[in-house]
Amino acid sequence: MEIGTLLANLALGVSVAVTLQNLGWCLAGAVIGTAIGVLPGVGPVATMALLLPVTYLLPAEGALIMLAGIYYGAQYGGSTTAILVNLPGESSSVVTTLDGHQMARQGRAGPALAIAALGSFFAGCIATLAIVVAAPPLTRLAQQFRPEDYFSLMVLGLVFAIVLASGSVLKAFGMVFLGMLLGLVGTDVNTGNTRFTFGISDLFDGIGFVPLAMGVFGIAEIIANLTSQERRDLSSSKISGLMPTRDDIKRSIAPVLRGTFLGGLLGILPGGGAILASFSAYTLEKKLSATPEKFGTGMIEGVAAPESANNAAAQTSFIPMLTLGIPSNAVMAMMIGGMMIHGIIPGPQVMEQRPGLFWGMIVSMWIGNLMLVVLNLPLIGLWVRLLLVPYRLLAIAILFFCCIGVYSLNNSANEVLIIAVFGLFGYLLMKLGCEPAPLLLGFLLGPMMEVYLRRAMLLSRGDPWVFVQRPLSLAFLLLAALLLLFVVIPNVRKVRERAFRESN
Amino acid sequence: MYRRAFLRLTCTLLAAGFLAGAPSPAQAQSWPDRPVKLILPYAPGGATDLIGRPWAEKLTQAFGQQFVIENRGGAAGMIGTEAAAKATPDGYTLLLTPNNTVSILPLLRKTPYDPMKSFLPVGRVGDIVSGFVIHPAAGPKTFKEMVEYAKKNPGKLSYGSAGLGTATQLRLEMLKLKAGIDILHVPYRGSADALNDLLPNTVQMMNEINVLPHVRAGKLILLNINASRRHPDFPAVPTLTELGYPDSDVPIWFAIFAPAGTPNEIVRKLNAKLVEIAKSDDMKARMLALSVVLPLQTPEEMARHLEEDTKRNAEVIRIANIKLE
Repeated sequence: MEIGTLLANLALGVSVAVTLQNLGWCLAGAVIGTAIGVLPGVGPVATMALLLPVTYLLPAEGALIMLAGIYYGAQYGGSTTAILVNLPGESSSVVTTLDGHQMARQGRAGPALAIAALGSFFAGCIATLAIVVAAPPLTRLAQQFRPEDYFSLMVLGLVFAIVLASGSVLKAFGMVFLGMLLGLVGTDVNTGNTRFTFGISDLFDGIGFVPLAMGVFGIAEIIANLTSQERRDLSSSKISGLMPTRDDIKRSIAPVLRGTFLGGLLGILPGGGAILASFSAYTLEKKLSATPEKFGTGMIEGVAAPESANNAAAQTSFIPMLTLGIPSNAVMAMMIGGMMIHGIIPGPQVMEQRPGLFWGMIVSMWIGNLMLVVLNLPLIGLWVRLLLVPYRLLAIAILFFCCIGVYSLNNSANEVLIIAVFGLFGYLLMKLGCEPAPLLLGFLLGPMMEVYLRRAMLLSRGDPWVFVQRPLSLAFLLLAALLLLFVVIPNVRKVRERAFRESN
Repeated sequence: MYRRAFLRLTCTLLAAGFLAGAPSPAQAQSWPDRPVKLILPYAPGGATDLIGRPWAEKLTQAFGQQFVIENRGGAAGMIGTEAAAKATPDGYTLLLTPNNTVSILPLLRKTPYDPMKSFLPVGRVGDIVSGFVIHPAAGPKTFKEMVEYAKKNPGKLSYGSAGLGTATQLRLEMLKLKAGIDILHVPYRGSADALNDLLPNTVQMMNEINVLPHVRAGKLILLNINASRRHPDFPAVPTLTELGYPDSDVPIWFAIFAPAGTPNEIVRKLNAKLVEIAKSDDMKARMLALSVVLPLQTPEEMARHLEEDTKRNAEVIRIANIKLE
């Protein structure tokens, strides 16, 4: 793209985004987003579903600017709860809990939150620029994907999930497969058979991601907190400075850059962009680090990289939605719903027919990111103070929001029952020392993998060689095999070390 | 003392609740005197939601009472439809649904409702105008060329549907029967998912409204129209009947139903307003933007339409041997 047209597009975007009303909607979206991101168990999907009817009353530009604000606002807010109360406010903040919460336990919640916010802001700026410059060519790349490529990409994703697990590789394996099994509940796309539904029509569409995630992460955590003796071991009194030290910043620069790049790239790919991005960025940092064994004990890199990655991915996942009209995740599906409510049918023609809307929304993202930092850095003190709320009150509030959030998705009381069941299940897993994150990823990717596998086979008329004949697919599979090798080797080493110690 | 007052209040409220639940002729006359719930059996943002929201808005204006939309998605529309079937038949709960839940699904699955017995038809509120599209790289550029190509290369073209047992699959099966051709059916989870694979030519054909913007942008070719009349935005594209394939449409239509037992007076009142709204230019334009045209029908005509539609779909399902479970 020429610099001239680029600047002209940006100028048009600024003229739309910097009106008083649209700045107001942007602020409203960012604030609502942060608030629901902070509240565990209330995600952007549920909030956007609730607010979708309201946006009917707004002009199209304002509505979309606000909805977008909710999404990236939630990415900021989600990390806050992940760090402070070990509850990922968003599925993409799951990995932030690993090191972020450890930092909070050591009384370094302030620096963790600040780095998360600054990293997210940086990633947001870069990703917004990336959308402007790279939307057309990147869209062409994502468009090249065939079902077999998606399948191989999912295989890679699941291998990532196993690599990522800090505990036993065997348990991670088990959790991934258990997640895949849970994901198989529901109606089979290719035959229409209902699997594991026991004739209950609420299960025909499978177990919802939101109730499952809220159950195994949210409710289980609450149960654990309430049952353990030292249930407020969050050491809220020990929080010293809010600002990161010079050393923190120095250590964060490279992870933020890498996270932004990786996240931006993965965000474009359809299917859980932001989640995969944060997981991948964390794994990458762990692999690159000189002290990988320290991850999970409060490494600032483990906060900086996934937080920048998920924000970058949240932004770049707008690319397929804006240019192709294809939702890469549930939130983008909501955005599409928001556009269609205003009679705009998402697709390649939006950029041409509604350039003001298109570029206005993109510029508003940058403005929204700026607002978030300006709002959140001073407000971190407030979020930290959230820890001082007695847990017996906080627990009830969290439960309350979880239930309302789940109920509002489909106005279904049965889904509230589902979170209760998975809450108990999650608690059991916690007691058994099994991590729920691989379970969740298996749950998300498993059914997608199945669909792509069977679609690829259907389209190749039953020829399995397509998976290695397509260069993209082959590359993903090879990468997955390589990664698996990497997990096995250190594990072998570990076992050997243990055996060695025992024999001594 | 306070407790007794509280108890009395509770009893009064409960009694009022029971009374409100039982329809009486006097209530039918004053209907609607409180908000009306319009159940949509699909999630927000989909076609049903897009068509339902303008209707809720127009009905609110026409009756001076809120028509509130409740999205009850799940199980291919069965959950929301069942909820409407089991609601109190007092005119304060209505269902707005595509024909999928009433004239296709019950033929394939055991549904917890009977479309003929559980509901009273109120009015048809929209017919989808779309047709088969093909990716330019596939080769054929017209409907006739597509049929010839498929005859020469059986099973080579593939078609993405919105899922098994949806009207979009029946449209393909009907085409295969009528033209005597073989096209591979690839079921997707919804039309957006299928479009994802149509644009890079992974599958070559679809039949949905979400592909039409891409036809306008020149990325896909519209071969025909599956409706009785041509699409106003694509006046050069012929209907299936014009192409020599009469009775091959498999219509996709939307309608409002009331739970069986709803007073007839309310159904009449509602139908009269639906017809009035459907005649307004504003509503016509808003629906056309979604590639939907507005039919004008009495409840009796709609009941007949439902019956004919069910019969036709049952025939395709039988001949094409479509099975779920």
